[in-house]
Amino acid sequence: MNPASETTTRTTPTWQILITTLGTMAWRNLWRNRKRTVITLSSIAVGFALAVLFIGIGDGSHNSMIRNAIQLGEGHLTVQPKDYQAAPSNHSFLHNGKQLVAAIKALDLPGKVMPRISIQTLASTANNSVGAGLLGIETESSLHHPLDPMAEKLKPTLISGAWLTSDDERGVIIGSGMARKLKAKIGSKIVLMAGKKGGDSQAYLAKVRGIFHAPMDEMNDFFIVSHLSFARQFLIGEGGDAFREPLTRIAIFLQDPDTQDAWKQKLKGLLKNDHNLVVLDWQEMMPQLIQFIALDNAGNYVFLIFILIMVVFGILNTVLMSVLERTREFGLLRALGMNRQHLLLLVLFESLFLSLLAIIAGWLLGGLTHLWFSHHGIDFSSFMEGGTSLMGTMMDPIIYTELSWDRVKQLTEIVFITTMVTGIYPAVKAAKVTPIEALRT
Amino acid sequence: MSDNLENKNPQQEGSPLLSLEHINKFYQQGELQVEALTNVNLTVQKGEFAALVGPSGSGKTTLLNIIGGLDRPSEGSVNLNGIDMTQLSESDLSNFRLYQLGFIFQAYNLVPVLNALENVELVMVLQGVDEKERRTRAEHYLGLVGLQDVMHRRPAALSGGQQQRVAVARALAANPMLVLADEPTANLDSENAFALLDIMHKLSHEEQTTFLFSTHDPRVMERAERIIRLRDGKIEHDGKG
Repeated sequence: MNPASETTTRTTPTWQILITTLGTMAWRNLWRNRKRTVITLSSIAVGFALAVLFIGIGDGSHNSMIRNAIQLGEGHLTVQPKDYQAAPSNHSFLHNGKQLVAAIKALDLPGKVMPRISIQTLASTANNSVGAGLLGIETESSLHHPLDPMAEKLKPTLISGAWLTSDDERGVIIGSGMARKLKAKIGSKIVLMAGKKGGDSQAYLAKVRGIFHAPMDEMNDFFIVSHLSFARQFLIGEGGDAFREPLTRIAIFLQDPDTQDAWKQKLKGLLKNDHNLVVLDWQEMMPQLIQFIALDNAGNYVFLIFILIMVVFGILNTVLMSVLERTREFGLLRALGMNRQHLLLLVLFESLFLSLLAIIAGWLLGGLTHLWFSHHGIDFSSFMEGGTSLMGTMMDPIIYTELSWDRVKQLTEIVFITTMVTGIYPAVKAAKVTPIEALRT
Repeated sequence: MSDNLENKNPQQEGSPLLSLEHINKFYQQGELQVEALTNVNLTVQKGEFAALVGPSGSGKTTLLNIIGGLDRPSEGSVNLNGIDMTQLSESDLSNFRLYQLGFIFQAYNLVPVLNALENVELVMVLQGVDEKERRTRAEHYLGLVGLQDVMHRRPAALSGGQQQRVAVARALAANPMLVLADEPTANLDSENAFALLDIMHKLSHEEQTTFLFSTHDPRVMERAERIIRLRDGKIEHDGKG
């Protein structure tokens, strides 16, 4: 007896049943030509892994440059005279440095608040004279203040002599390039002369305690590092009050760079009544570095476009070939009562599965590649014979790949959307099949 | 309109299940107009087991495609179960096929990635039949065609005869008003051809399902209760088999 004749249940086609059936068919269709699917997935996965690696290297090198720029430069945030950025000069300084540092430290921000003095000088020995940038910093840590990150970075690069102590009122550390130009050695005397507002000049005698050789030629050739107290003499000569501990700027190094914007706002709030001050972040301090990174990122995106083209043709080849081979089958399904939307959905499911598999395989391969290089790094020193200094900062010679969650999300979305959009054409082609023509094939 | 397409009983008592009136079908081949069917008039009553016979090119497949809503006539009307199919939109026609018609083709009848049971269930899935009932009906019809032991095999693992029997089970499980079969035995040896016809014939009687199938095989014609002979697109003979 026909079971349908007794109880014929005709419920509305539920999406769950239909989706499950179409999904099952799509998944199995994907594996009908196993070799083709595996080759397509492999090529997409390799391309994806390459994209992950290249973007990881790009981000790793950019972040290395940014970290170095912040550490060797003026921190994540800088408080300095309003006009200093546009026209740096020795007579533009913070008169009440002591009070400002204390007020900022009172905010208890997690990180370091470092007072700094920058003076443009002419450095002379008996042999030669060269333009030099004198940088006064906290050369030693104490109960009241930590060691300046600049000192942390330069200390390991000392090639002769010793680092400065905080009670050394005349001692300076100079770069190897400067030492060569001035023909200076450990113990050599250097006269540092700077122009004063109004046309006069002032000069102080310094003694070379150490010579450093940093990875940046600009630093080696131009920098002279002293304790704050030595550099402050020039500001006092410009009219600064020694008791108020004048400074050129306050560099703020945050433990968590992601809190930069929040602290910037807090600092602005704190200093809002002093209209001669500005709070700048490192991006504002080094706009040329931002431009360089943007340009370099554009290059990486071009590479990503090539990868996407490979993905598009991989998916298109697999899904379109599979659709063209099944024209008769689509005709049969249409004859049995499947409508165009069902066929469209069926083929879109195939693209979806291919896309998801490609992303999983790509992330597995790309993730493992990234994991390896994020631990072992890639040594670029042999490619950088001229040094790793760039755009006022430097790149570490060994780059460890870096990938943020935003990048993971961005790459996944780009590949997923590309593959799904690519699948539309074969799906529409399948949906256009008319049963009579398809069954004739 | 769509609701009526699922209705199995709009037919007036005494009126034929299928009625074709003045069906003409022309094909354009370049500038030449080819006449595939000429003034075909035909009625089929519920429960009939009828064969469309005739030599190749006589118009059997064209007529079956028009009755099945796969093709449209150039002129004339096709009335199945009280609905004029020529007036239906393409999506309504697709729905009409789903609920009212069963198809058995000459070959490549089954979806290769679904096993026999899933193939039989497929049309019922599209119809929205409850899962439990769907499974019961699919197993019932696969049992009737003698395939209960191989229902989990995919088409590639079934013989040609077994594949055709799955197609018969699929056509019947969906509970259609009319089953159309285009040369269902063409690719089968005599033994399998007779076995398939026996099953179709038996089910036609047991289920009161109307069968209309095309063939040019004399052995098959012997089993038909009614023979409709076509020649050059015209009905030449219509009578008992």
